[in-house]
Amino acid sequence: MFPTPIAKTSRTWQVTYQSLLPLALIMWLLPLLAVMWFSIKPASDFTIGNYWGWPSSFEGFANYYLVFAGSDMPRYLWNSVMITLPTVAGAVALSCMTGFALGVYRFKGNLLVFFMFVAGNFVPFQILMVPVRDMTVDMGLYDTRTGLVLFHIAFQTGFCTLFMRNFIRALPRELIEAARVEGVSEYQIFWYVVLPLMRPAIAALSVLIFTFIWNDYFWAIVLTQGPESQPVTAGITSFNAQYRAMYHLMSAGSLVAAIPPVAMFFLMQKHFIAGLTLGAVK
Amino acid sequence: MRSIFRTGAAALAAATMLSGAAFADAHAALSGDLVIFSDMSNPAPRAVMEGMVERFGEMHPDLNIELTVIDREAYKTQIRNFLQADPPDVANWYAGNRMLPYVEAGLFSDISDLWEEGGLTESLASTQASMTIGDGIYGVPYTYYQWGVYYREDIFAELGIEAPSTWEEELANCQVIVDSGRACYTIGTKFLWTAGGWFDYLNMRTNGYDFHMALTNGEIEWTDQRVRDTFANWQTLVDMGAFLENHQSYSWQEALPFMVNGEAAAYLMGNFAVAPLREAGLSDDQLGFYQFPQINPDVEMAEDAPTDTFHIPTGAQNVEAARAFLLFVVSAENQTLINGGDGLGQLPVNAASSVDDDEFLNAGFEMLSQNSPGGIAQFFDRDAPAEMAQVAMQGFQTFMVDPTSLEEVLARLEQARQRSY
Repeated sequence: MFPTPIAKTSRTWQVTYQSLLPLALIMWLLPLLAVMWFSIKPASDFTIGNYWGWPSSFEGFANYYLVFAGSDMPRYLWNSVMITLPTVAGAVALSCMTGFALGVYRFKGNLLVFFMFVAGNFVPFQILMVPVRDMTVDMGLYDTRTGLVLFHIAFQTGFCTLFMRNFIRALPRELIEAARVEGVSEYQIFWYVVLPLMRPAIAALSVLIFTFIWNDYFWAIVLTQGPESQPVTAGITSFNAQYRAMYHLMSAGSLVAAIPPVAMFFLMQKHFIAGLTLGAVK
Repeated sequence: MRSIFRTGAAALAAATMLSGAAFADAHAALSGDLVIFSDMSNPAPRAVMEGMVERFGEMHPDLNIELTVIDREAYKTQIRNFLQADPPDVANWYAGNRMLPYVEAGLFSDISDLWEEGGLTESLASTQASMTIGDGIYGVPYTYYQWGVYYREDIFAELGIEAPSTWEEELANCQVIVDSGRACYTIGTKFLWTAGGWFDYLNMRTNGYDFHMALTNGEIEWTDQRVRDTFANWQTLVDMGAFLENHQSYSWQEALPFMVNGEAAAYLMGNFAVAPLREAGLSDDQLGFYQFPQINPDVEMAEDAPTDTFHIPTGAQNVEAARAFLLFVVSAENQTLINGGDGLGQLPVNAASSVDDDEFLNAGFEMLSQNSPGGIAQFFDRDAPAEMAQVAMQGFQTFMVDPTSLEEVLARLEQARQRSY
């Protein structure tokens, strides 16, 4: 077996491994730990130059209270929810249908259509920035949550279709054939036969898309502005006041914004990992 | 919220009954809609703006005021669009060259008659020049803040030196500070604009306000001998080690700790630096302020004081109400109120206003209203066009890090000048 399990290696190697692993972990988490550390410091610590030392006073409660009660953060968080959930629902629903069509039916151009979905994923989204922005302005959707949701659904459906189509392909065709022999209509096959079988894929995909969209920053700043429509990832920059950057509040805000996807990951860990590996091995 | 029908009916009544009647008392006649677009989106400015609208609304119950607050950064791009497509009656902007493109495009109204009628030429004398383009005055200011040197009084006392007023004193002071192992000035040029502040002052003190304005306006070559004189003065400071080392890797905020911890003695900065310095534990006994010292006795002292403004777009519908609102904004009483510590915490533009009992605001108010005969500049990146400012400030930073690059820097700036204007 490769790599050799750590339990079977020499004692020295085991000790090296055991001491290096925590070190690597701490190094890797250092930026995040710094953000946590900063979030409990008072603003004056940054002006004194006390970046890494002990906080001169514990301001954890005050900072987090300010984030929730003294800023637009709740509004931004709500926007994030109202952008992420419809996108997940929309992209998953659409891709279940496209995946079914492309996975079950053999028709001329099937592969071509499928490749177009996949090819969309290879377009670097930075290229789309200006045209998409212009289009949302023309449609009157600029600076609205709807505009952001629609774009996300359109862009995510490509990846979701690839995922769903491959999953459906792997389902035993006999089930569908048997249903057809019984005279079940195609709609009912989709609804009663295929969809229940797709549950693990739907769960995995939902978790994946949820984290993608929640963490999106690029489109949030391109397509929206201000607390009426911006999600929390973009809203954190509002702690950059006219003259000063509020590092302590930005840190606290970032942690609050990171909680939903992290919680999602731990609660749905099984599906998340399934999502990453589904279709990876055939 | 006020009823649209009521105000609509009132407007109609006013229009039919009072048409042609000279209604001198502005307090009674205003009606209809007053549309205001504002960029005062940060929490404190927003509260100030909303407070003004509320108080103005109480004075004019028949007026329906629609206030739209737009994110300050977004506003800078949106204004180009809305001034043409959907002009409000009143809009925020900035003084000086920043309003030039809109004045040239005929999008801001000339309100010099309002300045005359309202007596603003006297009460707002300190900012009149920065609101004037050609023969017209194109708006009113509502707040500004001073720039100057904030220094550690306790360190100065320890070294036995006093705040300088001439260039010789300044250099002598700086030598004492450098000899004590400190930097004379903390500065963080990572985001460039702080170096722009230094250039503003050195150039205005060496060559005067008019020359500085002509230079930022693209009328003078950067390779001019007078510009070289400015850089020569700058180089004197750089060569003696006056500035904090590695300043190119700090933001302006990251340069504050050096002053708080006593590794640097002073900071050329805007008044917004006072709040964090106080929070960091410096008392008013430790912190002092002085006007940037005189270099060339033949030129009048001029200052940087970025000014925020209100304008009436040429497409405004309710001009009468807009003019009344502008007068209300600059009135001594309102100026005292909105620039106080509970509001913007900056300087009132009206000379008859009173300033919060704050050492630094008082010093700034006195300096700008009495001791800045040369004029008031807006700051390098507001006075010069964006493209020029970017290249120039990069050049200033390069020069500060390596003064031997002067020739290259000047050549690059001159190239940018020919391209940008």
